[in-house]
Amino acid sequence: MRHLGVPSSGAADPLSLALANRLVGNASLQPALETTLTGATLRFSLSACVAVTGAVARCELNGRRVEQHVALHVETGDQLSVGSAELGVRSYIAVSGGFEADDILGSRSTYLTAGFGGFHGRALRDGDRLTIGALATECHEIETPSKYRVPMMANWSLRATLSVESDTVAEIAQLFDARFTIGRRSDRMGIRLEGATFRTTASAEMHSVPVFPGTLQCPQDGSPYLLCVDSGTTGGYPRIAKIARMDMHLLGQLRPGNRLSLIKRDVQQAAKELRQKQDYFRPWIGDIDDVI
Amino acid sequence: MQSAGDDLISLQAQDAGDAQLLAAALRHDNRFIDVVAGVETVVVRYDIATLSRAQAESRVLELIEHRADPSTVRQRTLEVPINYGGEDGPDLKDVCEHLGITEAEFIALHTGRYTVEMLGFIPGFAYIGGLDARLAVGRLPEPRQSLPAGSVGIAGKRTGLYALRGPGGWPVIGRTRLQLFDADDENPFLLSPGDCVVFVEASDT
Repeated sequence: MRHLGVPSSGAADPLSLALANRLVGNASLQPALETTLTGATLRFSLSACVAVTGAVARCELNGRRVEQHVALHVETGDQLSVGSAELGVRSYIAVSGGFEADDILGSRSTYLTAGFGGFHGRALRDGDRLTIGALATECHEIETPSKYRVPMMANWSLRATLSVESDTVAEIAQLFDARFTIGRRSDRMGIRLEGATFRTTASAEMHSVPVFPGTLQCPQDGSPYLLCVDSGTTGGYPRIAKIARMDMHLLGQLRPGNRLSLIKRDVQQAAKELRQKQDYFRPWIGDIDDVI
Repeated sequence: MQSAGDDLISLQAQDAGDAQLLAAALRHDNRFIDVVAGVETVVVRYDIATLSRAQAESRVLELIEHRADPSTVRQRTLEVPINYGGEDGPDLKDVCEHLGITEAEFIALHTGRYTVEMLGFIPGFAYIGGLDARLAVGRLPEPRQSLPAGSVGIAGKRTGLYALRGPGGWPVIGRTRLQLFDADDENPFLLSPGDCVVFVEASDT
């Protein structure tokens, strides 16, 4: 749908979404809740199996501390709270059967900008009632094996390749030496990288060119802007690098103030390492190819 | 062909029409996950887990070899009635002042036949080329957070049509009541790249 101007949308960290869905017996990309920094509290009006993954956050079931990455059985009246993110940005709350959501343009994601998809096209508010797709017959008490848990950090390294206008930046090699700070103006559309600026000789009035999540643009002010899942489909700024597909899921956890380094890869290495990463996760997540 | 990333190949087209023909040809291979046309380029995103760069590139060459002859492509024509100015086009007055023309002169120059170059930026936003050079204006100093669906903006050589509510920095000169988006339709957006649109002044203004 990107050719119609429709952004990818979906989970900002699809691997954490898949890990949450795995625990409750869902397909990897079933609709779940994504919280951003602040967390959420849910009260259940039926029994279900739930799991929380993603950002490190304190979770409580009826006021008692519970672990993330564990399948939890909840009964009618139970209250699950997911606290503020301590490391990382987004937590994922999956429930057996999946949350029902508006299906639009082949997706059940919420696209806030145009106000469609998901739950009436908007972010959830206090008092909203969500419906679960199918009732859980049982809740297996499983947890994510530690080798599959994605560690949340304050310093991140993402692998990246060059892009079409990389050669318009004379000091492009420094892109891979820089230690960036994640800017405050960061959201599901994009992330501003601060701490190093780059000058490009590309024309300021470039024609609109297709861009994708992971594209690193270089606007006039020189601070690179990293496009995320809700980014527009075309842009007029030079494309100086792209985050490799295998590390795209981490974009959803880059937090303002975190440090970020880019590690250079060529196209062949990036493809090989993607396949290795998929092979690593496949024993736990069978449909990993749809996730990363 | 140039690399735009680990899973992205960029191709140069001759113009917007050529870019659409290239894109249409490349959509025949479902291992190409996204094929997006810009104004003069096409970018293909392919599945690097199953296709090497060399394989992807040779497949691209094979497919574009067989792209349609532009003379055989039938162009659809759609009439788009626009309510110019007033609440529908809050920037028309300023635009006309800046250009030193009257609103009637603006409408006379703006109505007519155009071609949809591409959809992009936000869902269904149509870039429509061929605007009269006498109507060329720049973007607003401060983009608007939200514009209603159907809004008509101009910038440089283009008119932009909002299929959906969205943000935007183009001066808004009018609005169409035409429903440009229908979620239940198999093709949810009324306009497609390559379509001919005829802007007319809406009869209820």
